[in-house]
Amino acid sequence: MVLQEITFYLFSAIIVASGVMVIAARNPVHSVLFLILAFFNAAGLFILVGAEFLAMIMVIVYVGAVAVLFLFVVMMLDINYVELRQGFLNYLPIGALIGFILLVELVFVLGTRFATPETVGATGAPIPPLSEMTNTEALGQVLYTRYIYLFQASGMVLLVAMIGAIVLTLRERGGVRRQSIARQVARRRDEAVEVRKVTPGSGI
Amino acid sequence: MQELLLSYLPILIFLALVVGMSVVFMAASYFAAEQKPDTAKLVGYECGFTPFADARSQFDVRFYLVALLFIIFDLEVAFLFPWAITLGDLGAFGFWSMFVFLLILTVGFVYEWKKGALEWE
Repeated sequence: MVLQEITFYLFSAIIVASGVMVIAARNPVHSVLFLILAFFNAAGLFILVGAEFLAMIMVIVYVGAVAVLFLFVVMMLDINYVELRQGFLNYLPIGALIGFILLVELVFVLGTRFATPETVGATGAPIPPLSEMTNTEALGQVLYTRYIYLFQASGMVLLVAMIGAIVLTLRERGGVRRQSIARQVARRRDEAVEVRKVTPGSGI
Repeated sequence: MQELLLSYLPILIFLALVVGMSVVFMAASYFAAEQKPDTAKLVGYECGFTPFADARSQFDVRFYLVALLFIIFDLEVAFLFPWAITLGDLGAFGFWSMFVFLLILTVGFVYEWKKGALEWE
């Protein structure tokens, strides 16, 4: 129990510290690396509350894919870091506003726990205790049947994301010679080679 | 709950060990080794010649497309995990609901294939 608390505070402290470093680091690549550290520690926190599936998804999707995407964005943009730093104060009000809104939301979410404790357990599909089934199983029990519309909607969202990514980033480049394996294989000897009689002393 | 966390205890021990050992290695090389840094030693190594530019250079947007498509299929696979372990209890409805989901994404996959997004020029 003590170990659990120690790990919780350790993970939380690292998350907060690396979160600060994400916005404070001079080099954007370092920011992304601190973001990855924060993701890893968030996965640790998810395991501490028993949400194994979320922890796994956190590592696979956020660390494995989203962080790589962020790195790509950082690498792709041609930004002047010194110039970027100077605009810090201009963006401070809007950043503070967004932070404030998030804080208010958190207060509301946690406030309901204290104001009306009886509503906490009253969800549409209560989570079965971990001794009965694992987190992933509990999710699978309801996701594909009870919440089928949301599930299919997420499929649609992924489809839209896929098409959007292709439409936005795919550029046809002219003058590129592509290999056509079908044409290569279909080529026969009599199309490629011609046998001629060559009389001695004269060319073809 | 306790059992679940206990099953993750080895990972925590390994993690502590890894962090501890890397700190020891870094500290040992910092304190024990003789250090005489100069520009040639500190600069990035580029097969013998002096580097022309920063390692961070702009590259083609098509790499981004590959990463983005990877994320989408990654998420698709993430949906498959809970489905796979509860398939016995779900019945035909759950089975076919996943197939409709996969079909929707296959539409995107066919689009991407036909559009030539997977081809490298």
